Amino acid sequence: MIVSVYKTIRGGFTLKMKKWLMTILSLVLVLGIFAGCSNKDASNDKNDDPDAWKKWEGTITMWDGPRWADKKDNKYHWIEDKIAEFQEEYPGVKIDLVKTPWAEMNDKLSVAIAGRAWPDIAPVDISGGSVNINHIKQGVVAPFDPYLTEDEKADFYDNAVEAYTYDSKLYGIPNSISVHAMLLNLDIFEEKGVEPPKDGKWTYDEFVEKMEALTGDKVDGFSTYILPGYYEAWPFLLMDGGYPLSEDLSEYTFDSEEAISGLQKLVDLKFKYEVTPESMGGQDVGGTWKAWAANDQRTVAVEPWATWAIASAQGEEFKTNFMVAQYPTGKTGEPVTIGGVGGWVMFNSEDETKKRVAAEFVKHISSTDEQVTMAKNYGIFPARKSAAEQEPFADNPQMAKAQELSKHAVMVPRHPSWARIDEAIQKQLQLALNGEKTPKEALKSAGETVEAILNE
Amino acid sequence: MGIKPALKTDFDPKPVKKQSRMKVLLIQINKNKVAYLFLMPKLIFFALFMLIPIVWSFVLSFQEFNIMGSTWVGIENYVDAFQSKVFRISLWNTLLYTIITVPAFVLTALLIATLVQPLGKLSQSFFRAAFYLPTVTSMVIIAMVWRWMYNYKFGLFNYIVGLLGMDPVNWLGQSDTALLSLMIMSILIPPGSGIIIYLAAMNEIDQTLYEAAKIDGANTFQRWWRITVPMLKPTTLYLFILSTIGSFQVFTQIIMMTGGGPGNATETIVHVIYKTAFRDFKFGLASAQSVILFFIIMIFAIFQYRTLRSDHH
Amino acid sequence: MNSNDVNQKIGKLLIYVTLIFMAFVSLLPLYWVFSTSLQLPSYQNETMEEPINYVESAPPKLYPVGIKEYIHQWQEREAAEDSGDKEDAAYHDEKMDEVITKTFEGFVVLFERTKILKWLFNSLYISILTTLAIVLIDTMSGYVLAKKNFPGKKIIFWAIISTMMIPEQVTLVPTFMMVQELQLFNTHWALIFPSLALAFGVFLMRQFLLAIPNELIEAAKIDGASEWKIFWTIIVPLAKPAMAVLGIFTFVLMWNSFLWPIIVLNDENLLTLPAGLKTLQDANLASFKLLMTGATVAAIPMIVFFLLFQRYFVKGLSMGGVKQ
Repeated sequence: MIVSVYKTIRGGFTLKMKKWLMTILSLVLVLGIFAGCSNKDASNDKNDDPDAWKKWEGTITMWDGPRWADKKDNKYHWIEDKIAEFQEEYPGVKIDLVKTPWAEMNDKLSVAIAGRAWPDIAPVDISGGSVNINHIKQGVVAPFDPYLTEDEKADFYDNAVEAYTYDSKLYGIPNSISVHAMLLNLDIFEEKGVEPPKDGKWTYDEFVEKMEALTGDKVDGFSTYILPGYYEAWPFLLMDGGYPLSEDLSEYTFDSEEAISGLQKLVDLKFKYEVTPESMGGQDVGGTWKAWAANDQRTVAVEPWATWAIASAQGEEFKTNFMVAQYPTGKTGEPVTIGGVGGWVMFNSEDETKKRVAAEFVKHISSTDEQVTMAKNYGIFPARKSAAEQEPFADNPQMAKAQELSKHAVMVPRHPSWARIDEAIQKQLQLALNGEKTPKEALKSAGETVEAILNE
Repeated sequence: MGIKPALKTDFDPKPVKKQSRMKVLLIQINKNKVAYLFLMPKLIFFALFMLIPIVWSFVLSFQEFNIMGSTWVGIENYVDAFQSKVFRISLWNTLLYTIITVPAFVLTALLIATLVQPLGKLSQSFFRAAFYLPTVTSMVIIAMVWRWMYNYKFGLFNYIVGLLGMDPVNWLGQSDTALLSLMIMSILIPPGSGIIIYLAAMNEIDQTLYEAAKIDGANTFQRWWRITVPMLKPTTLYLFILSTIGSFQVFTQIIMMTGGGPGNATETIVHVIYKTAFRDFKFGLASAQSVILFFIIMIFAIFQYRTLRSDHH
Repeated sequence: MNSNDVNQKIGKLLIYVTLIFMAFVSLLPLYWVFSTSLQLPSYQNETMEEPINYVESAPPKLYPVGIKEYIHQWQEREAAEDSGDKEDAAYHDEKMDEVITKTFEGFVVLFERTKILKWLFNSLYISILTTLAIVLIDTMSGYVLAKKNFPGKKIIFWAIISTMMIPEQVTLVPTFMMVQELQLFNTHWALIFPSLALAFGVFLMRQFLLAIPNELIEAAKIDGASEWKIFWTIIVPLAKPAMAVLGIFTFVLMWNSFLWPIIVLNDENLLTLPAGLKTLQDANLASFKLLMTGATVAAIPMIVFFLLFQRYFVKGLSMGGVKQ
């Protein structure tokens, strides 16, 4: 009996197991082939020669978003040129470019990190929340200090370096500083016979006065929108001295008197002074932009925008006669605005030589010359002093004006859960601008959610 | 699907002595190598991408996920989920959305099918196509065009509202109309699949029933109400359950049209799960939320099954 | 004609009117997609003081204005030619060209500046590949589960069937982690493989094949045909109607799937149509004309597909619904 059972097992199972194994093996093999190719890096043996890394052979994956277009309407031509240059210099290196639209960049980078499929290099606005302190703590991001001398580091603006510094280590190369500013459609000002503010400076009361003069006959003085991740409206909340979180990031402070009165000032534009369209404070970024910039539907005189909008309003499609102005000043008397720092982040890899090569490429694309090129073509402020000294905006007074504003720029808090905090606040701001909640109620109920996040 | 296929007794050897039963089993396995081989590809994918993920989902819901390793946290994720105001709001929104749109879906499907059924073959297939066509179109496209139609300044809806002499409505922008707008959209998308399923079921109804009723002097409405509707009950149940499941999963409209706003007015469960998982990377919490969603759908399905079955004879 | 007849006629008319109105409402959004995609953007002719954007205009234009404007310019040109005013005729000729160019401008921009052709291709090949794979493996397993007796059959069948009602979101996170373990992130396999786990097809094929008489299979066996041969020469030809239904529903499912692609894909060259359309909308500055043009391009293949295979759609839905 036992023998027969054994035989059955042998006869039955070995045969079956072979086929099982074959099937599974071939599946694994197939999967491996599909997935593996991108990660196969031939690493060199350890060598004492300091230039040994130059002979490294392998593939570096980098992400980038569309920038300015060339004649063939290719918005990736700049980075593609840089890659070609680099590959020529280091023939063993191959750089794979993953073209990721900007709107998807933050989300997709986070997903890639969670999927442990991060690239080697990616453009990251460090305040954007896709890469945050948690990732740095977990060792996802590679420190850049080993690849940068103190002299090289000294060329970057302090606030730019600071944005990428954690625990006195540098986690990325700052590339650009961005800032929000008021854009004034001068044609509408002229039509209505309203003087634009002198030197772009105005107090809140002056601002209201001008908005009232501009409003009427299908034209509105001011408009903006509220959406998670967008800070165009926020300087209003800061103008009386408000700030979202306390310095040590442990407490919510947007329910302070200062913040509430700041938000009240913004809300008043819509309900008290009635100088905004009904849709102001909604979520329609494109519609808001077109109401200011599209030449067949210009109905709003003044809108706050991030730096890119200046380049866009100087471009072909949305050519606008405009000037850059400060946000109006509130109780602090300072023309405060929200800024951001963009740059390149390098992700960790076990292959030290690979990181060395990747770092070299990051330096290649963030050199003084490249930052000047980018400033001129892409409308961003260089993060290098040497690049700013070349005065890329010598023939562009509007950009020069906006660059001045960056002196007063405040960064959003660098909390690991900023994306959630931001969403909680922005959603309440929407309600306040809908008139569904008073500024006080809105900021208080945002506080409840934010406190819960801070206490986690 | 509420379907219980009659399963033939497949393998049911008579209870014999333990050892010989084992032997029978092994012989059976050996004899059926081919059957297992035929099943193999499906089973591999089913195990990798269905079975393991389902079990894993439950396991994850009791863990706190971390890129560098996860820790057990007991039921904390479930507690967190229910303590979160946004999640509670999303539950309520989804529930409301379901309670309004699902009966509307089933009812309009029944009504349209009733109207279409007596028509000629050509008219029938014309209307079937007209009502089903919009539903084969991707929800992304539908959401894009509805967002455009709801546009405050240039949208079709505010044009119609204007023709009626009313003030324009900030459809997706105000808390009190945003969810409503999404419900209107869902109701006005024709219940294409429902109509076709009802039509098929109606054609199966025994015609002699109607003739008998006619002889008894029942008018058209009475015949519909006393014969058609009761005879369609299983179909109705099926549609109810199916569309409830779909409705609880509402997501595309949210991410394409409102982003959950204004405030939390249009947050739905799946949108919250999506954000918890793929923005905040709280995989444990997201799994707990998914498990909650799963049980809610289950409860709803069972409830519908019970109520619609109980008064069926 | 008696009053009863008249009543019936009126009743029938009422039914038609109601249905046509409802059909109109249900098709309106699709019409609006097409109409906006062909709407005339910023345009000015000899009678207008300044250019008008008909796409974003209040009140909205209910049809593509270009049609009317083209006819108008054509008539003007004829009139000018008749009166011998060559210059005027040339002007109107130019305007006619401009109307055509601007009407179809959205498509040019879409094809030149976005990756829509790539997305179209991706969607197409992913949907087709997945459909073929699902139809094959589900027919194989459906056949075995319907016609063979073997240990574990019951368990396997019920294990598969019981997952049919489980919403996609429940397994979202673990499936994502599985994809990451297998290093499929940002590849098309991440879309294809998880779809092959779906239960519906197995259920459908098993139910269908249960009805096939065993004698056919037995006869082939006596003739000495191998299992594989039996499957291909007897089962597959008989199962074709169900396979068609399964194929069509899988295709639609894959073509329209949205949540999963936006999670696992990020390279814009790899996106599928729905995910690609989302990036179009996210790139805030795109005009509604461009968005609706994208929607048109995405909608047309599915509409054609539906019109071609309409009867299978009907059959498939009826199969699911009637069998209680």
